[in-house]
Amino acid sequence: MKRWLGNFFAKNRKFIPMFSTALLALIAYGVGAYFFAGMRNPQVFFNLFRNSAHMLISGVGMTLVILTGGIDLSVSGVVALTTVASAVLLREGVSPGLVILLMLAMGTALGAVMGAFIVKLKVQPFIATLAGMWFARGMCFFISDDAVTINDRVFQIIGKTKILIPGLKELAEAQGTAAPHISIPVVVAFLLLGVAIFIAQYTRFGRTVYAIGGNEGRNEQSARLMGLPVDQTKLLVYTFNGFCSALAGLAFSVFVFSGHGLYAPGFELDVIASVVMGGTMLTGGSGYVFGTLFGVLVLAVTQALIQFIGSLSSWWTKIVIGVLTLVFIGVQTVLSNRKGRRETTQKAKGWQAMPMWQRLALGFSALAVLILAVVSITNQLRPADTTVTPEIAACEMPAFREEEASALIQDGAIIAYHRAGGPDCVDELYAIYPDGRVTGAAGTNTVESQYEAASINQMLATISDENGWFTDEIYSTYHTPCRQCYIHYITISHNGQEKAATAVDGGTDMPPGYSLTLAAIRPFLPAVSPGQ
Amino acid sequence: MKKLTKTTFSWRRITESRLLFPIVALSLILLFDFVFIPGFFNIEVRNGNLHGSLVDILRNGSTVMILAIGMTLVIATGGVDLSVGATMAIAASVAGILMNPSALKNEVFFVTDPTYTFQPLWVVISVALLVSVLCGFWNGVLVSYMRIQPMVATLILMISGRGIAQLITNGLRVQITYKPYAYIGQGWIILPFSLYIVAFVFALTWLITRKTAIGMFIESVGINFRSSFFSGINEQKLKLMVYTFCGFCAGIAGLVASSNIRTSDANNIGLMTELDAILAVVIGGTSMSGGRFSLLASMIGALVMQAITQSMYAFGVPAFALQAIKAIVVILVILLYSEQVRGWVRGIGAPQKEVKS
Repeated sequence: MKRWLGNFFAKNRKFIPMFSTALLALIAYGVGAYFFAGMRNPQVFFNLFRNSAHMLISGVGMTLVILTGGIDLSVSGVVALTTVASAVLLREGVSPGLVILLMLAMGTALGAVMGAFIVKLKVQPFIATLAGMWFARGMCFFISDDAVTINDRVFQIIGKTKILIPGLKELAEAQGTAAPHISIPVVVAFLLLGVAIFIAQYTRFGRTVYAIGGNEGRNEQSARLMGLPVDQTKLLVYTFNGFCSALAGLAFSVFVFSGHGLYAPGFELDVIASVVMGGTMLTGGSGYVFGTLFGVLVLAVTQALIQFIGSLSSWWTKIVIGVLTLVFIGVQTVLSNRKGRRETTQKAKGWQAMPMWQRLALGFSALAVLILAVVSITNQLRPADTTVTPEIAACEMPAFREEEASALIQDGAIIAYHRAGGPDCVDELYAIYPDGRVTGAAGTNTVESQYEAASINQMLATISDENGWFTDEIYSTYHTPCRQCYIHYITISHNGQEKAATAVDGGTDMPPGYSLTLAAIRPFLPAVSPGQ
Repeated sequence: MKKLTKTTFSWRRITESRLLFPIVALSLILLFDFVFIPGFFNIEVRNGNLHGSLVDILRNGSTVMILAIGMTLVIATGGVDLSVGATMAIAASVAGILMNPSALKNEVFFVTDPTYTFQPLWVVISVALLVSVLCGFWNGVLVSYMRIQPMVATLILMISGRGIAQLITNGLRVQITYKPYAYIGQGWIILPFSLYIVAFVFALTWLITRKTAIGMFIESVGINFRSSFFSGINEQKLKLMVYTFCGFCAGIAGLVASSNIRTSDANNIGLMTELDAILAVVIGGTSMSGGRFSLLASMIGALVMQAITQSMYAFGVPAFALQAIKAIVVILVILLYSEQVRGWVRGIGAPQKEVKS
């Protein structure tokens, strides 16, 4: 059995990265479905495609670019530009069909320009497409500063149409749940995927693409010497990617029904990650367009898992995505038996000495363990994080209790300190008297404590002399406080002078003397439990 | 580039020099400023320190200059390091937390005493640099031992690094009030203190790469990795070293950046600076497929980027247009660097009688 398995994989070695990604996506989805009942709804599976249709469209074009050994960083800029431009054009009343054609033409033109830079001027693809991305994003803001909504009827119809899956409709009706559906962009994406697979595998253009990138990018010269139209092909590839980016932008705009220059940040990195996970090497020449489908699926499953896990803090999301990317790429590297490397390492060390079937078994079992560990750890983390979740309602910052403060000062207090806000959303008023008495009030709770009069006087001397409370160095500052920041209102009366000043934590505008004063007062404040 | 013959002044030496194009680009931008922006070149002396737009360019560009030094070595081996921004954020978070760990508990939220720090300054700086070196080491292991492509390997840390930085500070922005630490980014000794840090890093790197054989090894690995192997150069250890050093530079840049804004903001420190650093290196003339490099040219490239930004601000261009203008300038620079223009310039200085290969 294991011999058969080993032979099977040895013969189909080139499909291994793609298979491993597909299997991983399946395992991840299975684990999610096991832990979360909600994920067993078939609509969730179809939503994976609905939510990532634009990524699939863009991934198809990007695969061809990467197969030639190049890269295209401009996709996010073109997508954002497409959303903004189409939104604004639709708002001005241009017909939707014309808008679609214009956008596709614009994307194609941008791709062609970048391709010309890369091919004719021999600029590095990284640099040329980076400039293209900045240029496209900059143009967005020339068109419109804010987000523009798309209210056009045709676009709304395209975005909201539900295409029911034949066969599953009856099943869902029997169960009483809504019939599973996909949207038009998904159909477009799959059509494009089919076209691209045909181009890559069955046309001369596709063979040239593979030849240019072959042997990890070193083949371009050989391809030229063979007489292949290298320049023309590269130009066409970047043009096609421009077309795909514009199409992805249109798919995105019917998904969110608006356009803004800030949309799709980091989109190009997601697309590149999904292409690489689909088995295409970044150096070019090896990989399958079909694999990109699985790469996009992996990213979509990750997002869905994170959504279902729920209150995962945003930073854990980023860490999980990074770890998953590493795991997938690591498995790919372990499983793909790249002979080229054998020549340059001294001898096959470590895992390269194991037979194929052992490597497979090890790779997959390590992976399964890792995914299970990640999901259960994140499950454990949920309760622990609720203390610092940003779900704290914004604190109602109370006004400066000026009358109360001056009343306290009239009463004989030398320091009246009102503190509000902070992570616990407190509202406390303290008064410090010259005889050493300190009172604190929060809500209806009051507390009182007693200190040495001498230490109070010393504190007062520090505040007025060293920190210069009564000089021009201390002045009131205010800015909108952050959710966990305190606002301080301090009134001090000393030697016949009285001065009040306010400040807010968390900014850089607090005068240094003020913060020193806070530090001096703080040891004397009794703990007051916040009353209601 | 070392010359065995006596160095003589000739057009040929100038046009073939690696520094020509970055200096030309910088001079063009400064010329543009001189003509169109009045008062750009004013330098005034306040309290014995120099201030002015030129000094601002140097100061604001110091972060990218430090990054560019590390990035040059990485690109010279044929790789790229996209994670420097995230490493900056991690270093800044570590420094912030070490100086003010009470920010993690919610009682005493902000220590506002400028002389207070939980750990002494040397501990803070060394631990932050150690963490960033670890990040670089991680990148190096992924690239050289696990044979993952550099762009993908550093992409992993780029994505998760910001998450790690937020994890360290529990999602909060730690206020840094310790005065001596703020001196790193904001101190002045005639020139801004961060410039001295840049000079130190540059001197260190120059000594290591040009006065030992490591520089030649790096160039050799980048140009032809297979023949380097047959020459006995251990390419894996070299790449590991280079990525570790890039992480170290990113750590220094993170400390400078966070002391500039006196916060350790895990989300915004170093955002997009990796792209600026890569562009600085490319403007400096190092090819992205690896090979010969020049540290000084990369630093001038970083200055070019910063000069563009500064002159656009002085010109009153709104922030969003800055991206588009940067793109146009980059395109112009690319045109300058294209083979056609280079060949034409080289043709000016070439002696007529030689047979060109």
